[in-house]
Amino acid sequence: MPEKDGKDPTGAPLRRPREKGRGKKILLSILRPLKAGLWLSLVAFPLVTFKFEAETRQAHFLPERIPLLLLICFGAAVAFDGLGWLKKAFGPGKRAGGILESPPEGLNRPRLSWVNRLLKSRFFKPASGVLLIFLAVLPFISSPYGVNVYITALIYITLGLGLNIVVGVSGLLNLGYVAFYAVGAYTYAILNAQFGLSFWVCLPLGALSATLLGFILGLPLLRVSGDYLAIVTLGFGEITRLVLTNIAITNGPRGIANIPPPSLFGFDLNQSVKPFLLKLGLIHSRTDLDKVLIYLIILMAAILTVAAVHRLENSRLGRAWLALREDETACQAVGVNRAGAKLTAFTLGSTWAGLAGVVFASQISFINPQSFTFMQSVMILSIVVLGGMGSIPGVVCGAVILILLPEYLRFFADYRMLLFGLLMVVMMVFRPEGLIKSARYQHIYRAPKAGEGDPSDSASGK
Amino acid sequence: MTSAEPLDKTVLELKDVRASYGNIEALKGVSLTVQAGEIIALLGANGAGKSSALKVTTGLLPPTGGSVRFSGRETKGERTERLVKRGLVMVPEGRRIFPALTVKENLLMGAYFRKDKQEIRRDQEWLLDLFPALASRAGQDGGTLSGGEQQMLAIARGLMGRPILLLLDEPSLGLAPKIIRGIFQTIGEINRTRGTAILLVEQNARLALTASARAYIMTTGRITAEGPSKELLENEEVKKAYLGG
Ligand SMILES: Nc1ncnc2c1ncn2[C@@H]1O[C@H](COP(=O)(O)OP(=O)(O)OP(=O)(O)O)[C@@H](O)[C@H]1O
Ligand SMILES: [Mg+2]
Repeated sequence: MPEKDGKDPTGAPLRRPREKGRGKKILLSILRPLKAGLWLSLVAFPLVTFKFEAETRQAHFLPERIPLLLLICFGAAVAFDGLGWLKKAFGPGKRAGGILESPPEGLNRPRLSWVNRLLKSRFFKPASGVLLIFLAVLPFISSPYGVNVYITALIYITLGLGLNIVVGVSGLLNLGYVAFYAVGAYTYAILNAQFGLSFWVCLPLGALSATLLGFILGLPLLRVSGDYLAIVTLGFGEITRLVLTNIAITNGPRGIANIPPPSLFGFDLNQSVKPFLLKLGLIHSRTDLDKVLIYLIILMAAILTVAAVHRLENSRLGRAWLALREDETACQAVGVNRAGAKLTAFTLGSTWAGLAGVVFASQISFINPQSFTFMQSVMILSIVVLGGMGSIPGVVCGAVILILLPEYLRFFADYRMLLFGLLMVVMMVFRPEGLIKSARYQHIYRAPKAGEGDPSDSASGK
Repeated sequence: MTSAEPLDKTVLELKDVRASYGNIEALKGVSLTVQAGEIIALLGANGAGKSSALKVTTGLLPPTGGSVRFSGRETKGERTERLVKRGLVMVPEGRRIFPALTVKENLLMGAYFRKDKQEIRRDQEWLLDLFPALASRAGQDGGTLSGGEQQMLAIARGLMGRPILLLLDEPSLGLAPKIIRGIFQTIGEINRTRGTAILLVEQNARLALTASARAYIMTTGRITAEGPSKELLENEEVKKAYLGG
């Protein structure tokens, strides 16, 4: 092209850094994991070496744990550094992780994975109808234990979908999601214990209080981004748990008991309705109708959540969230208020946690701060990551797998967290897009059909 | 301009604008004006500060001195999204479309602040007409487009905001001559049919001077030459420095 010539200021010094950088590079590759290990140890130090007795309210210092702490932290840092190498050697190429290459010339039709194709096929409606009927009948033919497990799975589906808005769609890493879950649960427990408010009144109130908290917290929080956001939200989750442990209205570490199940038009289901249904032969004598009702409620809530999240994702706001995750400057250039869009994602994500919290409290009828630990946040995040960030069917599958599998593989129960960690690492290396990739990220190409636009002739103008 | 009310016709006016990144001063006093419906070129070598000038104009980079007026109002402290609403839209350097959104969704993002659904649809159809290459890929993810198609999409996305003034940052970057010609033709057409004023940042000086009415030349943070594009095309110094002799 005829424009200005060799004045390029970057032309000359291109070769130099490589020769000089070799020794420095090796040094860096040793220093980097050491630095990470040091940080990790510092952060983990108070968590590992102090034991807090909830009953006596005393902290014990355990110096004998320090060697173990150092071993684990530095080991983890070195292992993680090695992962980078592993990923380069075995992981999927640039395609994954959101970096998109242009397609090879002439290949430009994205192909959907089988799940997403199924969702778009004409069998979807009849199939989902059948599935819905099956899910509605399920609690009547299952054991009370089974119903309990299904309720838990559905609660986590709701939680996963909520967190998916924040983490999967908007890319805001929230490690304190459990706090909003706790707020929902405690809203019901406290309002019921203090004022006798019913489940049905508390359900929207729980969701509302979690939403409010999300908003208030989001205001200052969203000034930080990336890793800092993760750390601050993590801290917030822990603070919430500590507050719940230390204030009077939550009854401290002893928690709140006798939280009633929901009632239907004021009937006690197991007293008044059950004999009638038993006579008709519709249910099993062991069936706990309270639990069945909770199951049906959370089933409805989960279905509503799926519908709502689906709509959100394809709305103006949802597009802005996705766009924001990809390119903040370009978003500003088209007039998106970044802080506002992030805040709505953070706030709306919290709503579902509050909702799920109320249902959770009514399910187990007893809550204390120990029900809402960091592990819960990790669990919900694992569901989103395992299933597929930003993918609704992915999150549903992730919840089903992570909740149901451990129930049936009791054998693994003790190692559950260890397995989660391992699973997450493996997923991040080999399949960062999750089990079911979001339909938006399916850049697998196949040749266009004959007669479609010729990509080489794409100049515009008429 | 000898007009009786010059303020009404001036869309953009930068007066002695300064801006820096840390202690690197990128703009050392830049003044320029764009009148309604004009195509103005802003030329200069790498690192001259062209993109920085656009960033200051759109509020992405706070100026440390001078003033920026857009359609008769000082923009000082005004946030980018407010300026977009007022009709000042930038198509940033390097395309920066949203790869995970489809072509249509990318266009809708360009109309993010607009509420008039009917009109948005109409504009969408207009732009898909204007860029036929996009029309056949309307449902395809932005990330799967070729470089030229992405540039067209970036421009089309900018136009979805119905700008009074469109800032284009190096639309020819990395594209084949044939595609560049197509894009420039379309830019001219938009300007003629819609009356959109355009501030065109380019390194491809010949092309930009041919397409524009007036031009400014920047060197290391300052405007060092300005005038009607025709005259600059003939100017010996400009020829030597920017047109390859
Ligand atoms: N984000 C930033 N941080 C620090 N310095 C920057 C940043 N952006 C630009 N600069 C510096 O400001 C000066 C002007 O940059 P600018 O991007 O405005 O130049 P340009 O004329 O657009 O160049 P090009 O034609 O290469 O795009 C350069 O010296 C550059 O190094
Ligand atoms: Mg530039």
